[in-house]
Amino acid sequence: MRRRNFLALGSAGVALAGTAKRRPLLPELDEACGCEMQAPGGRGRGGRGGPAVDAFANLQSGLKITGLKVFGVSLTPNSDRPYVFVKIETNQGLIGWGEGTLEGKAGAVIACVNDFRDFLIGSDPMQVEHIWQDMYVHSFYRAGPVMGSAISGIDQALWDIRGKALGMPVYKLLGGPFDPRGVRGYYHVDGATPDQLVEIRQTARELGVTCVKAGIPGYYEWIERRPKIEQAIKSIQIYRESLGPDIDIAVDFHAKTSPSVASIIVKEVEPLNLLFIEEPCPPENVQAMAKIARRSTTPIATGERLVTAYGTREIIEMGVVDILQTDINHVGGITGLWKVAACANVSSISMAPHSCEGPIGGLAAIHVDAAMPNFVVQEICGQVRPNANDKLWEEWLGFPAMRMVDGRFPLSEKPGLGFELSEESLNKYPFGGTRPMARVFGDDGSVVEW
Amino acid sequence: MHRRSRLRLRFAPQAAAAEAKPSAMDITAIRHFPLREPVSGNRYSLLRVTTRSGLVGWGECGFDPNADLKALQSAWTGKPANAYAAIEPSTPFRAALDMALLDILGKAANAPVYRVLGGPTRNKVRAYSSPRSQEFPVAVIDVPAPVFRNQGKAYQNRILELVNAVPATSDFVLQGNGLLTPGDAASVAATVETKHPLWFDEPCSHSNIEAVRKVSGETVVPIGFGSGISDPGVFQALLREGLIDVVRPDIAIFGVSGARRVAALAEPYYVAVAPRHNGGPVGTAAAIHLAASLPNFFIQHVPVPAAEQDRAMRREIVSPAIEANNAGFLDLTKTPGLGITVNESALEKYHAS
Repeated sequence: MRRRNFLALGSAGVALAGTAKRRPLLPELDEACGCEMQAPGGRGRGGRGGPAVDAFANLQSGLKITGLKVFGVSLTPNSDRPYVFVKIETNQGLIGWGEGTLEGKAGAVIACVNDFRDFLIGSDPMQVEHIWQDMYVHSFYRAGPVMGSAISGIDQALWDIRGKALGMPVYKLLGGPFDPRGVRGYYHVDGATPDQLVEIRQTARELGVTCVKAGIPGYYEWIERRPKIEQAIKSIQIYRESLGPDIDIAVDFHAKTSPSVASIIVKEVEPLNLLFIEEPCPPENVQAMAKIARRSTTPIATGERLVTAYGTREIIEMGVVDILQTDINHVGGITGLWKVAACANVSSISMAPHSCEGPIGGLAAIHVDAAMPNFVVQEICGQVRPNANDKLWEEWLGFPAMRMVDGRFPLSEKPGLGFELSEESLNKYPFGGTRPMARVFGDDGSVVEW
Repeated sequence: MHRRSRLRLRFAPQAAAAEAKPSAMDITAIRHFPLREPVSGNRYSLLRVTTRSGLVGWGECGFDPNADLKALQSAWTGKPANAYAAIEPSTPFRAALDMALLDILGKAANAPVYRVLGGPTRNKVRAYSSPRSQEFPVAVIDVPAPVFRNQGKAYQNRILELVNAVPATSDFVLQGNGLLTPGDAASVAATVETKHPLWFDEPCSHSNIEAVRKVSGETVVPIGFGSGISDPGVFQALLREGLIDVVRPDIAIFGVSGARRVAALAEPYYVAVAPRHNGGPVGTAAAIHLAASLPNFFIQHVPVPAAEQDRAMRREIVSPAIEANNAGFLDLTKTPGLGITVNESALEKYHAS
């Protein structure tokens, strides 16, 4: 915290110094590039960057945002995915937490959250949709994953405040729950040996877990040699053989394969009746993914890297996928995830939201899931048996966050997102800085997807 | 906007001055060497480009008796040798000129061509060879054209026999050579689908896109096209609809930078590049630099001739022996330009008159 504040001040100081130095050299320098279209009445009704709340002076809830804090939380000093937690404080003592974790780009998201300070301080936190639009539209260039994650963290925190102010869990504000028992989830079984899979099958049955997800081995070129293709197919067959016919199996290709290579594998595993194949190719080209989907009956899922409903529109409207895996920490928070689900529902596309970052985003996702007519299953990057992260989350939040009961994540009756978190509990895991995600290279040294 | 036009005015005189002044990089001579392999009779053209400063660049393209050398010479003599991006698709000897200018640019920069182009993106170049050569581990199966209609199961079995003769651990490319009807092509593809060929090359003619749709729609066997394609728009049409899995720009048509543009076109479709090459060793050298500058390169065809006499010719005209197989890969060269020396006296011996 202190260090971050210091850094922020430091960089502001540098910027000021720079301006002061340059100013005498270019006395007539105008910040405007001349391409700005002026609204009638001239620049800045309320001024550029001026307070946006004036128009709602008579419609204020009485709550005002007074503080914005953003925390980088590194579980290990060299973590490539420090959690980015956003805390918003209000004049009435209500606080909200949100998450904008973006793997490999923590520093950029932290900076981006701080860039939104002027949009937030002094605003009415109840106007979630209005603030969301203000942040998104008035950022002009629209949002990529960095800004999407920053907006996500802020949005979740605002919803948390909203729920607390209205005395209701967020899923009730959204019109849920569809199923009071909770929302169905799955655990990861990636990398398990056949023997371990047989054991997992037994444990899953005892715990009521009905679905798991696995990956495929190795890395792939855009055209692949047949030993690699056959190894991938074999690995998926082993999942089904070891886990049996009763459990739903999802297989994550993690965009390691091209449409050409994925088409072969996806078609050949049709008889295994998988729940879905995830990210059979990278996310930029919807038509390319359509090429895979139109030649197989295996359901296709994707979407964790797509930002906002705008970024998801094309894939929905083309009917390319069966399932969308929108990530609440990147898409634009609760507001973003809910809108994607609404759009998908119109096209009979199901939702299996991705949440593989920290516990705040996971819990926030459960609220939206509970209010989706087209929800199928929620991801969390946990294992069938709890691990160290699960223990830590329980320590922070006081309950086993993101652990299923009878195959479902239970719903909370508490207002807002339904948890308390103290800044002190995060102090043990100070921000270790931004670290790159895995950088993987092929046998010939070339860059490959992982 | 005002500022930009002010800047233009400020720099325009400088640009004009630069154009008028003779430069060490200006092209002073372009010479053509048509070559023929003695046994196979395969012909290709070499181009030697010389600059005022004495730098020499070599390039190769397909042999075309009608190519207008004089037009090339008059258009490019006196032009800066570094301006390879200004070569037009209609330029005679386009591919050879492109390679020769890159060779010169590399030599001027004292760097291999792949470094000039932003590489290396890989440290070795996967390669395969023609059906007759066993030097590279990827087998090439020429699909026999059906002699009669309605050959049905017997025809499919014949294809399977050929495929099953390839050891299960090695890879193969199925070559249709554009000879099959769309129905036969689709049926052959379906027959070999679970045998996982690297790709099915020219399963049918690419000119009837409806036929390609049929083959691509009925199977998931990757499909490659490139033979006879000189217009990048043809690749774009196939890519746009997801009808091509391996783009195969011919380096003898596109040169290195033309092939790089086709590769750039394929990249946002996650489509791999396997450049076509049916010429000589200068072309192979250029192909190595092309491969080492691309992110989406998959494999390079090396047209190793069947006859020892023809192979000897390739070793004679170009050194070092860049076409040597190193466990299924070609090595990158490290010397400036294309990294080869052309033996001009040997060129006379193999002159295609």
